[in-house]
Amino acid sequence: MRKALALVLVCLALAVFFAGCGSKIGPGYDEKEVYIGLFVSTSGEIATFGTDTKNGVELAVEEINKAGGINGKQIKLIAYDTASKADEGKTAATKLATQDGVLVSMGAVASGISLAAAPEFQKYGIPMVSPSSTNPTVTQVGDHIFRICYLDDFQGGACAVFASKDLKAKKAAILQNQDDAYSTGLADFFEAKFKALGGEVVAKESYKKGASDFKTQVTNIKGKSPEVIFVPCYYNDVALIAKEFRAQDVTVPLLGGDGWESDKLIPSAGSALEGSYFGNHYSQEDDNPKVKKFVEAYKAKYGNVPSSLAALGYDVVYVVKEGIEKAGDFDRKKIRDALAGLKAFDGVTGKFDIDENRDARKPISMLKIEGERFAPVRQIKPEEVQ
Amino acid sequence: MQILLDNADFASRMLQQVANGLTKGSVYALVAVGYTMVYGVLALINFAHSDVYMLGAYFAYYPARWLGYMPDTAEKPKAPFWLMGMAFLGAMAACAFIGALIERLAYRPLRNASRLAALITAIGVSIFLQNVGQMAFGADPKSFPRYVDQSSVNLGVISVGNTSILIIVVAFLMMAALHLFVQKTRTGAAMRACAHDMKTARLMGINVDATISITFALGSAMAAVGGILVAMDQPRLTPTMGLLMGLKAFVAAVLGGIGSIPGAALGGILLGVAESLVGGLWDTTYAEAVSFVVLIVVLLVKPSGLLGRAGREKV
Repeated sequence: MRKALALVLVCLALAVFFAGCGSKIGPGYDEKEVYIGLFVSTSGEIATFGTDTKNGVELAVEEINKAGGINGKQIKLIAYDTASKADEGKTAATKLATQDGVLVSMGAVASGISLAAAPEFQKYGIPMVSPSSTNPTVTQVGDHIFRICYLDDFQGGACAVFASKDLKAKKAAILQNQDDAYSTGLADFFEAKFKALGGEVVAKESYKKGASDFKTQVTNIKGKSPEVIFVPCYYNDVALIAKEFRAQDVTVPLLGGDGWESDKLIPSAGSALEGSYFGNHYSQEDDNPKVKKFVEAYKAKYGNVPSSLAALGYDVVYVVKEGIEKAGDFDRKKIRDALAGLKAFDGVTGKFDIDENRDARKPISMLKIEGERFAPVRQIKPEEVQ
Repeated sequence: MQILLDNADFASRMLQQVANGLTKGSVYALVAVGYTMVYGVLALINFAHSDVYMLGAYFAYYPARWLGYMPDTAEKPKAPFWLMGMAFLGAMAACAFIGALIERLAYRPLRNASRLAALITAIGVSIFLQNVGQMAFGADPKSFPRYVDQSSVNLGVISVGNTSILIIVVAFLMMAALHLFVQKTRTGAAMRACAHDMKTARLMGINVDATISITFALGSAMAAVGGILVAMDQPRLTPTMGLLMGLKAFVAAVLGGIGSIPGAALGGILLGVAESLVGGLWDTTYAEAVSFVVLIVVLLVKPSGLLGRAGREKV
């Protein structure tokens, strides 16, 4: 009899426990604070990206809280490290949703981690805004998933527009990393747009991941005498590739995407990239007072010039703030609708709208390498690429 | 006229590819020498050789870094000439020591074990060195210091990097010196005797253990030079940079006739040029496959290689 009673009690306790788990998530705010989540990788192989993003986010939160918060409530930032792993993204999302009950969440940098986290937020009806995941599928997870960076197709197309209209090139060559979807994706979008603009892609060469000898490819490209060479790769490959082009006396400008941005690019490339161009999310040297103020505040707080990931981290907090203020209420559904209808948001990474796919429609900043500077050339707007 | 122009253009492109191939091939040859020497004496494929190549590059990286010639900063002062000399000699000495140490610790206890046991040990040592490299140096790529300023040298219809010329010249000098050493000195004679018949060599009063240590040391020093030369041309260091180089150099050694030093040199050059020409005439994605096709063809048609002697099976 006593045993049976114990069993019943245990079952009851378990039932209560599981019921607790499945119960409604918290409202996302209290009298004084509004809870906002952040999940980026501040450890592991892409730790620098996550750390920069987090720095930008914390700077913005600090500014907003000092200025009185959002609708009178201070932001309480709840951050998790996703350790450069996709399953950590899912764990962080579950914690942010069920344990912390955040109102809105921000993250991640890597598309793979965003894709692992997004279904959780979608399930609980919590809006998620990614600062810098460029893979098109991220926002297709559901109607609560947003992003504030441009996509790879736009980036590749914008580089083609720049090559054709600004550099007046008729013949372009491409050198891509065949084992990296980012690289081949950008190369394909560039090729399609450049051809559509009447140009000719005279050579398309590939290399394997981890290669450091580009002599053969460079000779093949040199033989076709292109006027510009599109190199949609990451900065450490770009430095070696540029050196090989200059060693074989190819002096035309190279052109690339946001993978070029790194404070290690110029030190490892030396003068080989002088006069080359790349597209980025923003320019550190922009005259826009908003950008100037951000760069100075960031430098004062962290001691270095903010990368574009830091800038996107800074912007994503202001996007969330504007979403909540427009909703006029700390209600997730209303905030989602406000974010979906966001128009002409004015951030340090440019002025942009959120489109019907919950992606940002925004300009790309073309930069020219001059000595150790990334000098802004011009912005290319989405209308120009379509 | 147009045809003539096109042909001239084509010819200069192929000439450029040959120059690229010579650069690549010289390093293959330099590394292949180490495989071939060890195989000649012990009939062992020393898989750890490619990691000694990697260590050589890192050993030349740190002195410049410690003395403040930081390759990762924007100022990046040029390292002085004497430091380059010291880096070369220091890395060669350190790798020679490590090569001999690997033999002493990993292979000597297995001298009389089956060949398979020695082979698997070699793979184990290679994996061990890669992981130690990853822990000691970090997995992120390092930018090699500026020992020489890279520039373009115009040779008539083609342009090559000054580092390419440096690679070809230094590699040939090193291999010529090694060849002379093996042919003309007493130690060299002892090495040849051990390669020919180790038991008899021992009976003739040759210190076989010491000779084998010297063989490993010399081969490893060559690999170190190869590593530094490549790092000067393609200034990026990673703990796994030896992996592909080791495979190519091994194929070069087989192509030239494993056990033969001139064969390794020839095999390296031929492989490098073949890869570049396939990349130039056809597609660079197929260039990587060349070395493996070559390996299969050589093993089928002439297993002893181009300059190798068809010897009896060693036990």
